[in-house]
Amino acid sequence: MLRAEVNEFLTQTGPDTKMGNLFRQYWIPALLAEELPEKDCPPVRVKLLSERLIAFRDSEDRLGLIDEFCAHRGVSLWFGRNEESGLRCAYHGWKYDVTGQCVEVPSEPSNSTFCQNVKLRSYPLVQLGDVLWTYMGDPEKTPPLPDFEWLHVPANQTFTSKRFQESNWLQALEGGIDSSHVSFLHSSGLHNDPLFKGAKGNEYNLKDLKPFFEVADADGGLFIAARRNAEEGHYYWRVTPWIMPSFTMVPPRGDHPVHGHFWVPVDDENCWVFTYDYHPVRPLTETELQAMKDGHGVHSENIPGTYIPVRNKSNDYLMDREAQKRHETFSGVAGIALQDASLQESMGPIVDRTKERLTTTDIGIVKARAKLRQAALDLAENGTIPPGVNPAHHRVRSASVVLPKDQAFNEALKVELSVQPGVRQASV
Amino acid sequence: MYGQSLLSNSQRATARSESRYRIDYPLVPTRGARVIALDKGAEEIVRKAASQQWQSAHFFALDTSPSCDSYIGSSVEVTLRSFDGETIPLNQELDSVDVVVMVATQDTGAAAANTIAAACTVRGIMTAGIIASTNADSTVAALRPHARILIISADKNDLEYLLTAIRA
Repeated sequence: MLRAEVNEFLTQTGPDTKMGNLFRQYWIPALLAEELPEKDCPPVRVKLLSERLIAFRDSEDRLGLIDEFCAHRGVSLWFGRNEESGLRCAYHGWKYDVTGQCVEVPSEPSNSTFCQNVKLRSYPLVQLGDVLWTYMGDPEKTPPLPDFEWLHVPANQTFTSKRFQESNWLQALEGGIDSSHVSFLHSSGLHNDPLFKGAKGNEYNLKDLKPFFEVADADGGLFIAARRNAEEGHYYWRVTPWIMPSFTMVPPRGDHPVHGHFWVPVDDENCWVFTYDYHPVRPLTETELQAMKDGHGVHSENIPGTYIPVRNKSNDYLMDREAQKRHETFSGVAGIALQDASLQESMGPIVDRTKERLTTTDIGIVKARAKLRQAALDLAENGTIPPGVNPAHHRVRSASVVLPKDQAFNEALKVELSVQPGVRQASV
Repeated sequence: MYGQSLLSNSQRATARSESRYRIDYPLVPTRGARVIALDKGAEEIVRKAASQQWQSAHFFALDTSPSCDSYIGSSVEVTLRSFDGETIPLNQELDSVDVVVMVATQDTGAAAANTIAAACTVRGIMTAGIIASTNADSTVAALRPHARILIISADKNDLEYLLTAIRA
């Protein structure tokens, strides 16, 4: 359980909140690159960390992320015209470049310098992999760009999607570091999802429903290991890295691509879930890519033209009790992503953690909360740069392996839990 | 984000305004927790936690006896010592317990860890280990078959985080 004030501390990420300031130390995913596909394409409204912004790609292919509203009358620039190297307000024609600098105020005399004094808040927007990343903190403290392995493999080896989730970011993240729910909620996916099925590791998952957990500190966060019985004298280990503030990588299954998430607060009651898949050493097959686009694996099937899942709160996630009875799904909700989202959203927009009853096996969640809070306090009190900002902390991998019982995962997997270019992931 | 006319049961039930109708009563009785320091370094950590207010947690060190330094796998007689100086046989203390948390910073308590963890397993008591150093491989090995969770961490506050989380 958490005290009410600690729950508020961890779940509020708007400007001038301690957790908001923590998030503003990191590069975070803002949009998918596909949302701004070409020069002068339509601008996109983006809300991040409770700030309403607008993203656009100008005539010179420069990316901008600026305050959504015109300085003149507060009109949304989403209605504006993206042309001739700037975004022009549709109301009175004020025009802004990608840095938020006003470059034209048509009502002023032609030799006026008034516009030079008008600048909207702006943040950098940089494409890495399939994602446009932003940094919303002090420009003078801009950290190096992210260095996650999935951002650096060739384009044909990776795929990223996103979906809107109607819950606070923390309860979504906590689902991502809670390995024990897989054997229940996602049990059917281990049998029939094209991006999961067939792995030897699935058998261990399904045979042993009471995993043991070991948690070890990582430079950027934690390694959370779930251990299940394997053949005589051996354990099956699934090791999930969590890198602060909200990046996780799910342990792989067989030769399937590796996947994971980055949870980004939209505001205190909603978040974006960016979901990546990649294979370190080979292109994704057409079948795999199509499965990801169709919402299999940890991706979601979204309403065309949106990032809102087809199965969502407004339609009770298309609950299918007959499929549940037939054991096609454990919860009646289809798809791993929405199986998670449906339960996390059912907690309410911000779950009241003063009422929860955790057990010792929730230690990954307990540790993650403690680390986030301590990092936010250290930042506020001493200006300490938090774990996970240093790109070296991003060079981690998840792993699923079978080890002799006398081997500790954090000793035996030192190499496997770090990025090795050109080397396949450790996976069974 | 959807019009009122489109509200589903899920949408109604999870609205912020509905949260106030969640029934407020104690869902689960307090867990009986016992915390045992396995060595001198661990004793400092446990003593610090013990100085705080807890619902039902009791805190102990191993009563110093030569047998506590025995090697892993050996069967040792374990006697606990409260921070008030009272000595209690392990078996007696485990009678009404849900969770046992062992804390170690070195390997001198490995054999005792083995005995305590095995005793907990027999009784169906949830067992957890906190290893607050990198010099306790034998203790980790002793705990691993039994402890449902093992925390290998340099953070000396982990014990308090865990006890708070489980309402000990």
